[in-house]
Amino acid sequence: MGRTYQTSLRVGPATFRIASEWQQPIAQLSSLYENYPKPKGEFADFTVRLESKSFWRKYFRPTVHISGDFWLPDASPLPLSQGLLAAEMGMNLQMALGWRRHLLLHASTVEKDGKALLMTGLSGSGKSTLSAMLGEKGWRFMGDEFALICPQTGMAHSFPRLISLKNEAIAAMERNTPGDRFGPLLEDTPKGSIRHLVPLWESLEASNQPAKPALLIFPRFGYDKAVREIGKSEIFVRLTQASTNYVALGEAGFKALTSFVDNVSARAIDYQSGDEAEELIDQLWAELV
Amino acid sequence: MSQQFKAANSEDIILHLLDMMTLVFHRPSGLTHIVADPVPAILEVMQDGASTPSQITAALEKNFDLEEGADVENVVLARLDEMYALGLIERVSE
Repeated sequence: MGRTYQTSLRVGPATFRIASEWQQPIAQLSSLYENYPKPKGEFADFTVRLESKSFWRKYFRPTVHISGDFWLPDASPLPLSQGLLAAEMGMNLQMALGWRRHLLLHASTVEKDGKALLMTGLSGSGKSTLSAMLGEKGWRFMGDEFALICPQTGMAHSFPRLISLKNEAIAAMERNTPGDRFGPLLEDTPKGSIRHLVPLWESLEASNQPAKPALLIFPRFGYDKAVREIGKSEIFVRLTQASTNYVALGEAGFKALTSFVDNVSARAIDYQSGDEAEELIDQLWAELV
Repeated sequence: MSQQFKAANSEDIILHLLDMMTLVFHRPSGLTHIVADPVPAILEVMQDGASTPSQITAALEKNFDLEEGADVENVVLARLDEMYALGLIERVSE
């Protein structure tokens, strides 16, 4: 058996052990996660493994298979040049399929004054980009992928993994962000071009501080600027679709989600640019009682 | 004799009202159902003792302001079939 390279990472409340047959993804992870709080020697919650399918494919046109505690049998392998993306996908997969301590919503989250703004929507809605943008403008970035809602307290907990910028969002963020916070540009991935951005140090340092969910937004990019109210039934259904562990949590998930829907203001917004979205978000945030 | 039905034990379900719809969390299955009127009302009158479609219809007509001329019993029968399929009510053997 060949050599295994590995690192341990802590993102919010979760710890990961990443093991790889290749050095490159581990070196990239170690560099990009350098300023994250370190795991405190405890056992990792999850293991992610980056493996070759055969001895030859470790060296000849190497492709990375994502494995670990939880895995999908039909997941396509990625070229080694996208090994960093494979590790990130592996970590997301562990959270989506294995995390039980919180109700997990597929949403980005930012915080201000102890209150959390959550944004959820389909891929391409802009939720990740908007959280990255707000994270550079006075909000605390809490996560661009998963919001973790505590079933006991209803508080949102941070999962500030690397921000996954896609396609047009890459250039938009590169314009105003120091280059040393970016990972390599990954082209021709299954989701187009991807470049990871390290959140600001202040977000990482405060990653153990929860925030009270105050506003939920369903953003939609590419439509004329608008704000719409949404009925609680529709919000509930959309959030069950946005949660990867609602069913697994059973009654605790039901109570956490109904409490969230009853207590958190929600709006759908349409926007054509980051400035428009920011204007609408500031307006809705100011209207909160 | 008309088919009798029995509602799930009240401790087996959690009802939660959202705007126009009501959520029903069914503890034994762990499933969440989203139901509209008159299902919550049917569950309510069944908890009060109504068990046959006619008794349920009569209780609904007494307790709620129903549309005049509506074929309430047929609506009740259709909803009872659906609620039975979801496991929210049981058929009582004669």
